[in-house]
Amino acid sequence: MFRRGLPGGGMDVMRSRLLPPGFSGGLHDARTATVIGRWLGPAFAVCFVTGLISHVMQHPPGWLADGIPSRPVWGYRLTQGLHVASGIAAIPLLTAKLWAVYPRLFTWPPVRSVRHGLERLSVALLVAGAVFEVATGLLNIAQWYPWPFSFVPVHYAVAWLVTGALILHIAVKAPQIRDHWSRRSPGTLTLPAADGTDRRSLLTAVAAATGAVTLTTVGQSFTPLKDLALLAPRSPDHGPQGLPVNRTAAAAAVGTIRPERYRLTVTGPRSFTLTLDDLRTLPQHEARLPIACVEGWSKTAHWTGVRVADLLERANAPAHARVRVVSLQTRGGYRVSELGREHARDPLTLLALTLNGEELSPDHGYPVRLIAPNRPGALQTKWVGRLEVLS
Amino acid sequence: MSAGVTVFRMVAGAAGLALLGQGVSLLRDVPGPGDVLVWLAGAVALHDALIAPLVLLIGRLLVRGGLRGPVRGALLVAGALTLVALPPLLRPGPRANPSVLPLDYPRNWLITLAAVAAVTVVYAAARAVRRARRRRMPAS
Repeated sequence: MFRRGLPGGGMDVMRSRLLPPGFSGGLHDARTATVIGRWLGPAFAVCFVTGLISHVMQHPPGWLADGIPSRPVWGYRLTQGLHVASGIAAIPLLTAKLWAVYPRLFTWPPVRSVRHGLERLSVALLVAGAVFEVATGLLNIAQWYPWPFSFVPVHYAVAWLVTGALILHIAVKAPQIRDHWSRRSPGTLTLPAADGTDRRSLLTAVAAATGAVTLTTVGQSFTPLKDLALLAPRSPDHGPQGLPVNRTAAAAAVGTIRPERYRLTVTGPRSFTLTLDDLRTLPQHEARLPIACVEGWSKTAHWTGVRVADLLERANAPAHARVRVVSLQTRGGYRVSELGREHARDPLTLLALTLNGEELSPDHGYPVRLIAPNRPGALQTKWVGRLEVLS
Repeated sequence: MSAGVTVFRMVAGAAGLALLGQGVSLLRDVPGPGDVLVWLAGAVALHDALIAPLVLLIGRLLVRGGLRGPVRGALLVAGALTLVALPPLLRPGPRANPSVLPLDYPRNWLITLAAVAAVTVVYAAARAVRRARRRRMPAS
């Protein structure tokens, strides 16, 4: 049979016995678990924080509604790109981590004390939540929804559950983590020295796997690497006018919008209505702004149109006013979005009429769409029919 | 254990429990929390009863076959790439529009696997050459 600490023995199950099965192969140890945890923890932290940012930007609590900044213009592009990239990077890390600690599932007796039972329960929650979050996130960016529940609120709630269980886990394991933090930590030194080379080889492979999944997907938001994004669910160049689309005109059931029948209504202290020709004769402004989707893809485009701030001025809107943007779409979510004060008055916030030098295509919101800096793509309302000045 | 670690554990433990509580309270407001529980339990069951034993079995066969190091690394990288490729490869049903999953994913997946194989062969060959040289030139 095999000896313990055999080089490369990290992946074998040595003595096979059932209930509880035996794992005497190397690398199912606290040092391996600590090193992978040192990578996985930050990945989860980035994922949680960027997820919270996205949640707040899409559902701002009342006290924050006016505090959401409209700069930097690439803010949401960066945070949501990081959210999806850190989630994908967590896939090989989580797999390796669970592999390293798998034998502990068969701890015998299963529960030694109330404390031990609670600890195991928190680990079960952590594993369940972590696998759940990574799996649902990965399926969501491919727009695959095999579950019966609504993705956003559940993904959000379980994120709190996982982060709580993770922090609790770090608290429980703090002494072991400290004892195995470095190669020279006291706990590491008690492990068979022969495992060291094998462990480095395994950890190099885990790092390579993390790099590989990142490199083949991150180009969907980090466009310089778009040619390497072989496995990304979106490609920055695929879509009408060279820009991906989420909800098409057909899906939103906007029908055919005839240019001569189109009207933009602005309601406020001094309400008014504009035709498409009126909009075209107003001062046009340019902006280079990204569409940054909550699903992680993003791409910068060149937009021209009328400043929302100019229209607010004309409507005699108070300086602090928030604005409701209402679409002509008759189906699907995100028909209405709100601009906080910062976004409403930002000179880069436009009702765009052109995209990359051409009239908007129907799927990009013909004839008029909202485009604003540092804003989730779902809130860049298309087929805009009305602006309402609020309070 | 030092006092610093104890304080850290207490604070982190309390914070963890608070966040857990927030998660549970949010989950209670979600319509159909029972479905979520089934999926959460399913995630653990799928990993613990299927994925992990399969990976361990493959590892065991590898070691029996005398394959480790670069081959294990290559399989790990290829496995991770495959996991990430699964949703685009397997998603059923029509896409919302042509810009969703626009690429030839079976082809791209095979390209990534071929790249992993190529890098592994080059790496293993370079390592073999280095070792052979070292053997020919004993420590000077």
